[in-house]
Amino acid sequence: MEYRSQKIAYWYFASALPLFVLQVFLGLYLATSYTFTVPQSVVDVFSFATARAMHTNLLVLWMLLGFMGGAYYIVPEETKSEIYSTGLAYFQLVALLVTGVVALVGFFFGWTQGRPLLEIPRPLDLVVVVGALIFLFNIGMTMLKANRWTVIQGTLLGGLVFLALLYLFGIPFYRNEVIDWYYWWWVIHLWVEGAWELVTGAILAFILMKLTGVDRQVVEKWLYVEIGLFMFTGIAGTGHHYYWIGAPRYWLWIGGIFSALEPLPILLMVIDTMMHVKERKTQIVNPLVWTYAIGCAIFHMIGAGVWGFAHTLPQINYYTHGSQVTVSHGHLAFFGAYALLNLTTFYFAMPKIKGIEVFDDRRGKYGFWTMNVAMMIMGLTFGVAGVLQTYVERVLGMGYMTAQSYMRLWMGVTMTAGVFFLIGLLTTVTDLLTIRPAKSKA
Amino acid sequence: MTKKTAFWIFLLGTISSAVLFLAATWDTQRQVATLSNVDKLSEQVVAGKRAFEKYNCNDCHTILGFGGYYAPDLTRVVQRIGADGIRYRVKNPEKAFANSWRKMPNLRVSDAEVEDLVAFFTWVGEINNNDWPPQDSKKRLSRGEQAMVATVGVSPGAAVFQTKGCMNCHSFKGTGGTFGPAMDTVGKKLSQEQIARYVRDPKGVNPKSMMPPQKELSDRELEEVAKFLSNLK
Repeated sequence: MEYRSQKIAYWYFASALPLFVLQVFLGLYLATSYTFTVPQSVVDVFSFATARAMHTNLLVLWMLLGFMGGAYYIVPEETKSEIYSTGLAYFQLVALLVTGVVALVGFFFGWTQGRPLLEIPRPLDLVVVVGALIFLFNIGMTMLKANRWTVIQGTLLGGLVFLALLYLFGIPFYRNEVIDWYYWWWVIHLWVEGAWELVTGAILAFILMKLTGVDRQVVEKWLYVEIGLFMFTGIAGTGHHYYWIGAPRYWLWIGGIFSALEPLPILLMVIDTMMHVKERKTQIVNPLVWTYAIGCAIFHMIGAGVWGFAHTLPQINYYTHGSQVTVSHGHLAFFGAYALLNLTTFYFAMPKIKGIEVFDDRRGKYGFWTMNVAMMIMGLTFGVAGVLQTYVERVLGMGYMTAQSYMRLWMGVTMTAGVFFLIGLLTTVTDLLTIRPAKSKA
Repeated sequence: MTKKTAFWIFLLGTISSAVLFLAATWDTQRQVATLSNVDKLSEQVVAGKRAFEKYNCNDCHTILGFGGYYAPDLTRVVQRIGADGIRYRVKNPEKAFANSWRKMPNLRVSDAEVEDLVAFFTWVGEINNNDWPPQDSKKRLSRGEQAMVATVGVSPGAAVFQTKGCMNCHSFKGTGGTFGPAMDTVGKKLSQEQIARYVRDPKGVNPKSMMPPQKELSDRELEEVAKFLSNLK
């Protein structure tokens, strides 16, 4: 840690981790609901819908906290200056956490906007917007005052501003269900396949540059090409969500063509990560951070690239749309692209903030492999369930519950893999929060 | 490649995609009025949408394929189970799903809200959305029927029974829904003619019947499925 204000990041990361754990607990409840019969008396009080709202909102909350923490860590080093206001940064953290907790408790009592992933009620949306404005102001002022612009900084700021702007499209009440979904995807798709990719690209570029010692000019050149391709394929690629909502037919063409190209920037990210690692000019100090960075690039490719491509063409999507195939893709992509990216950042930054140069990574390794293997299995079993559903429900037309009974076994396997994922996650979280210096071999 | 070339790749990539996307958005806004029958988008439909959101229905059910995947898609729910089917399930889920291994919560939805929901689903069901979902598509399923008759060798009536959604409510040999009675021995009680009459107009035969009238079956399909069922003894 070179700047005092980088310590802010630690508290963002430390707050994100327990939320991630809670998210996985709720995920297990959801998987249980698919496998066993949850009695009517329980369902009436705590429904699948409530648990799902919590599961997905916790995901968004912890990941955004991770990104914000990441920004607070990176920006001082990039601008060679302290964060504009430490006080505002902590205030904003507390405001977001309080909003998050109020929202979760509210869901339990049925206080919701009632739109998937955007369940946070409208009054709380305003608090979120204020929090985001404070964050952008703080980061923006730091950069303006320092006036040492770099591509990494620009990409990070651009991604964060884009992210905040898109959130606004999720706030209004839309009278027409078709228009509602049209703009819902401006938040969801343009976040994960637009704004978040910019933030991820910037953070990963920064970490790779620091880890490998590869020249900034080279890293930033590839960053430009990557985000250019992300934007080119991602923006118009939103069309793959407009096939069956009552939008004009040309979306089948726009969505099909652009989203077929969406794996390209991710592939480029894998290639340039490998290239930088190969041409490294430094020693590998903490192997686990490297494992995470490479794991993130590869899992990003599998989850978002391969799995996304697999059901993005309209001819296939007609049958798989809205089935467990989507769930399989969602889990692999979010974990591969964004959970691993955040954990890479945490493992890179948290020891440094604590002043630990070489950390003991034995527990962390177990955590990494348990989570990755468990999530890969979950992706596959969700996928098998999804293919069964597609065939039995959509192709044969045998009815929703008939299909669900064939899928039950596979949802049970998913639930079991989920337990292993939780074990891996608890190991990782404990390790991160109590990270220790490695015993020197000397 | 220089850093400057890379910058231009970024700039042109972003701008070209954004221009195409925004132009298509402008045109979509215009066309959605026709595609979604905005003339039928009444205040009651909007009230139904609000009720749909108030009870967070969408985090279990999908609509237009989006939402939770825990319960059936609601895009064509009116065509599938009828307005009465919706009223019964929303008002009395504990009864409707008593035999199901997956439950639906009783959210104490008011009678007025149920009517709003029915209006909303009726409107959604008529959106021109490229004939999705496939399981409710009249066009695709008749193709599925033909394929089943040709390749699996089932009788035409069995194909109709499997593909026209009968099994959403009725079961045969343990497979299918639990709303309506199982069909395994229906032929013992009813003749082909009685079955055909009942399927067309359930309430006309038995005023207490919960079954929605199957108006969309062709005469040939009705004849075949009645023949198939009357032979189950």
